[in-house]
Amino acid sequence: MLRYTLSRLSQAILVTFVMSFLLFMLIGLMPGDPLENMLEGNPSLTPELMAQMRELYGLDQSVFARYWNWLMAALSGDLGYSSLYFRPVTDVLFPAMLQTVKLMGLTLLVSVPLALLLGSLAARKPNGLIDSVVGVFSFASISLPNFWVSLLLIILFSVKLGWLPASGTPLSAAPSALEQMRHMVLPVAVLAMFHVGPLVRYVRASMIETLSADFVRTARAKGLGEGSVMVRHALRNALIPMVTVLALSFGSLFSGALVVETIFGMLGMGKMIYDAIGNIDFNLALVGLLLATIVTLLANLLADLAYALLDPRITL
Amino acid sequence: MGLNLSIDTAVPASSAFGSGGAAKVQRPGNQALLEVRELTVSFPGEGGSRSNVVSGLNYRIEAGETLGVVGESGCGKTMTSLALMGLVPTAGNVSGQIMFGGRNLADQKDREWRRMRGRDAAMIFQEPMTAMNPVMTVGRQIAEVLIRHEGLSRRDAADRSVGLLEAVGIPSARRRADDYPHQLSGGMRQRAMIAMALACKPRLLVADEPTTALDVTIQAQILDLILELQEDTGMAVQFITHNLAVVSELAHHILVMYAGRGVEYAPAEKLFERPLHPYTRGLIATLPDPDRKVAKLPVIPGGLRSSRSPGCPFAGRCSLASDICRAAIPPMIEVEPGHHVACLKVSQ
Repeated sequence: MLRYTLSRLSQAILVTFVMSFLLFMLIGLMPGDPLENMLEGNPSLTPELMAQMRELYGLDQSVFARYWNWLMAALSGDLGYSSLYFRPVTDVLFPAMLQTVKLMGLTLLVSVPLALLLGSLAARKPNGLIDSVVGVFSFASISLPNFWVSLLLIILFSVKLGWLPASGTPLSAAPSALEQMRHMVLPVAVLAMFHVGPLVRYVRASMIETLSADFVRTARAKGLGEGSVMVRHALRNALIPMVTVLALSFGSLFSGALVVETIFGMLGMGKMIYDAIGNIDFNLALVGLLLATIVTLLANLLADLAYALLDPRITL
Repeated sequence: MGLNLSIDTAVPASSAFGSGGAAKVQRPGNQALLEVRELTVSFPGEGGSRSNVVSGLNYRIEAGETLGVVGESGCGKTMTSLALMGLVPTAGNVSGQIMFGGRNLADQKDREWRRMRGRDAAMIFQEPMTAMNPVMTVGRQIAEVLIRHEGLSRRDAADRSVGLLEAVGIPSARRRADDYPHQLSGGMRQRAMIAMALACKPRLLVADEPTTALDVTIQAQILDLILELQEDTGMAVQFITHNLAVVSELAHHILVMYAGRGVEYAPAEKLFERPLHPYTRGLIATLPDPDRKVAKLPVIPGGLRSSRSPGCPFAGRCSLASDICRAAIPPMIEVEPGHHVACLKVSQ
């Protein structure tokens, strides 16, 4: 287990390096360069001065040399300066990360149990009433655009009913925990709804298959109650393939977070990367995207470790 | 074979199962432990019709006795045993009477079924690999039954499961209890299944081809184990198999099924001495005899098919069949004491 984890970690580190180079190249392909963007429309800037500035910032060097410079600086802890926020990248990054972790964490806390519950209920009687209702809900969640649903919810709960704030970020300087939670309700509800939809389909399919397994019949033959049969025997086994699905859903959850953060005005990772790219903030965009890569790699590693934990037949 | 087991001759407690399984049986008059009357299991077929997987089955099992149910794949053996346990899939419909210990199980509620299963009647299955939960330790799977039916604490139940594993002949049982099913061999898994089924000393064990997936030496061991435990506990066994040779070693009575119907039902010795139904004769004739060298193993020609014709379901494969056989389904008739057969040619 330890050896496996270490070898997977070293693979992840290698992939991170490769990805950092690819991202660096891709961002370099974007139209415009940081200087043009920063000094755009400044009439006192002569072409000579511009060339001088380029040299000063090292922008006249080859992409490999620039990557090397960036890498060395990054490894020594200097992630650069955000041209959008006029602050070091780390200062912008960490609050945004915290915000996104909060949003995604709360979403997972809601969506995973909900998906397991709805999927299992639907699987008990395929094509029954519950299954049909759950099916309509999950297809709605897969097909409706999430920004549109967000707006509808804001209109209903914030504008018409006035129950919940329309923004995801409290306005007061030191909001209470309750106040913060109130602001999270709508964003988490939207994001969870879009995460649950596809997840429910997978849980349902996995449960239907497991419920027809011989060992479920054995559990019934032992006289166990329906709850025990469903949870301890069926769901416990149906969970194993769900681990992969959950790890893969991280990507779509992240892109969903981007939309939700934008609509509810939350300064999270998604919004930060989006703004950084839109404003050609190279440093911030690069680090933000790289972080998303690292999170995905770690999620996959955790999924593989979770396999070994959930399934005694797998040893790592 | 020394299989004449009644409650009186049951060997006293010598294993974790103890004796007294039979002592629980209340027997008003000469009622059998299990009496199945006109059992029919049907499933929805094409176009709203219902097709019978089991139709009008009758048999009885006395306490401590073994009934062998024999027939080829798809003849309704498994569905019969699932009906006894209330485990017929929800699409299926069960009618008729299943009298067990004086109660009709057929109109029992789900809650009563759950109380009964695993305690009064237990079942073991053909494939011990898939019949056990792969992510739960063997010990825990046995303990579960004891916690459910005897209200034991987790710890006591765990101790008892180790005792049960020892009783079914699993070496270093304490360590094995913490193993997962995939860590045991096929024979060990079936032993563990038996331990699980017998944990609460049921009065009836339904064994659905428990030896089919095992190799021959292990088969013999498992059969011996079932016989031994039956002697200890005085339980009744319904043993389902497609293998007449297996059933000849342990059954007191034999029910031969064909296409969902009973075709011959008799004490075991009688059936082997004087098989009456052409299908039974065919089955016995196809038993390979190691003393007799043959170039080709004998077979019963034809195959099981769902005939919509009104007559005897075996008529299509029967060498004796004539027009009357194809006209109506022959009733089960007692041709000599205890020997029932459903064949017009024989009962005429």
